Amino acid sequence: MSVFSPRPEMPAPSTARGIVRAVLLTLPMLLLIAMMMTQGELPKDSLTRAVTAITYALLGAVFFLMVYKKETYKYRAALFTIVAVCFSIAFIANLVEMRGSMAVSRADMLAGETPFCHLVIPMVIIPAAFTRTIIFPGSLLEGFANIASMLILWLGASLALGRGWCSWVCFFGGFDEGFSRLRKKALIKKIAPVWTYLPWAVLLTLALISALTLSPFYCEWLCPFKAVTEFEQITSFKILLQTIIFASLFILLVVILPLLTRRRTQCGLFCPFAAFQSLANKINIFDLRIDTEKCKNCRLCVKDCPTFSLDENSVGRGKTLMSCTKCGKCVDICPQRAVTYHIKGTPVAVGSDTARILFLYPAFIFMSAIGGSMIVSALTRIFKLIATGSMIG
Amino acid sequence: MSRLKSVLAYTAAVLALLIALATFTGMDSFGRKLVSVTGIKVSPWMIGGEVVSVIEHEGYQTVIHRPVFDGLFSERKKGMLQIDWTPQQGLPARVDELIDFDRDGKDDFHIVLNPESNKAGLEAINPRVVSIEGCYTLKDGRAARLSLYHD
Ligand code: SF4
Ligand code: SF4
Repeated sequence: MSVFSPRPEMPAPSTARGIVRAVLLTLPMLLLIAMMMTQGELPKDSLTRAVTAITYALLGAVFFLMVYKKETYKYRAALFTIVAVCFSIAFIANLVEMRGSMAVSRADMLAGETPFCHLVIPMVIIPAAFTRTIIFPGSLLEGFANIASMLILWLGASLALGRGWCSWVCFFGGFDEGFSRLRKKALIKKIAPVWTYLPWAVLLTLALISALTLSPFYCEWLCPFKAVTEFEQITSFKILLQTIIFASLFILLVVILPLLTRRRTQCGLFCPFAAFQSLANKINIFDLRIDTEKCKNCRLCVKDCPTFSLDENSVGRGKTLMSCTKCGKCVDICPQRAVTYHIKGTPVAVGSDTARILFLYPAFIFMSAIGGSMIVSALTRIFKLIATGSMIG
Repeated sequence: MSRLKSVLAYTAAVLALLIALATFTGMDSFGRKLVSVTGIKVSPWMIGGEVVSVIEHEGYQTVIHRPVFDGLFSERKKGMLQIDWTPQQGLPARVDELIDFDRDGKDDFHIVLNPESNKAGLEAINPRVVSIEGCYTLKDGRAARLSLYHD
């Protein structure tokens, strides 16, 4: 059989049984999402109520489609991108409302009012271990995105999903994922495997510099996502230089390279948190496996993995690399259906659909709990803009 | 044996769902617990050292923070001292002060601040005081950071 012949064991989603199964599996998720989104209380104003209903319908539909169609990647990627865009809209509108601009002032930093973000976690760990202080100008327990709640979110997601964080939780990842999906074909197809070590080099260098200087070097100098969230007010040549660097990195790593390569270049080739979070895959119960008996070695998965998490050796061993983000793309595109979600400690290719569903539940809870509120907030701002001509106020 | 392994593995997989739910339902209380158990604080390099003394003036206060020399393993030779003047509304056109930051009864430096332009001048009395690192706008006042040598 040619490797490009129809995929074996294709599910038959159009059957009534398939629909009933998908509905039954979606119902508990709908209940959980409703609990997460409303916390037992319906929003008071009618606009937020309507927007919450739209968001709820969107999340429910995406989960239903994932289960019914037995495909993960395209639905997840679309929602992931929507979440990233909505996060940015909501975050910026909020900042403008509170501070009057996207720029974070020294006053906000000295008052410890900078929202904490997971990207800084690998840099705060060594100083926290030695000095019991967090080298970030945020608030420990108060306000939006405080340090403690973000650490709990990260710990929970790391235990439940490992590096699945980078395809299901991170509110930045949807940017390079979105741009990587805009073109049908890649213009740059070959990327030397040596580049996949770069995030480790960046991680090591930044963790050391941050520990020695007791300052979050990545946030100050490199983080490309400052372009879509907040950045320091330009009051000196140093801050101007920092601004030029992060804006250039955003354009290059989050926009241009994903467009040209159809890969998530920021997440796969640069982000230090990505490298750090790969370690969480070691403790997480879910992984992806390749049934080497079914695999015809077409290397489609190697060529298409958004985060460079497969190579010929790993396919030969029937495993992904440690950096796998559990995005589901290789599962969906493999013509042999050789790649499956898997629960460590169970036989490969037995009960793979159960493994996928068991992974989808926690993954989707994280995605909808984080993303749901962002979509609601962004849609509310957008409707406000349409109705009043301004998102603010 | 492999059956037992599978049962444990599926149990752990179900546990992942419970962890996801617990993360959101218990986020605040877990967060508070994390802070109290680890005793972590925000680095004084970020928000200034703890406040050690407050000098009252007519209409405003001078807030002196602990000099910060904290390093990764031991104290650094060079550190930072933050002084705040607050509230903004009560600040005079020119703040002119002699400050004894180490509270040994002797003035350590003379600082002059123009709150309007946020520019300051420094005259060191104690040789440990090096220079002004910068002047900053606070939510409700002004701050200056000075670089200092350790004793
Ligand atoms: S596992 Fe990868 S290499 Fe093997 S058949 Fe599937 S897509 Fe091709
Ligand atoms: S190995 Fe598969 S699931 Fe993992 S990141 Fe690559 S495409 Fe996604």
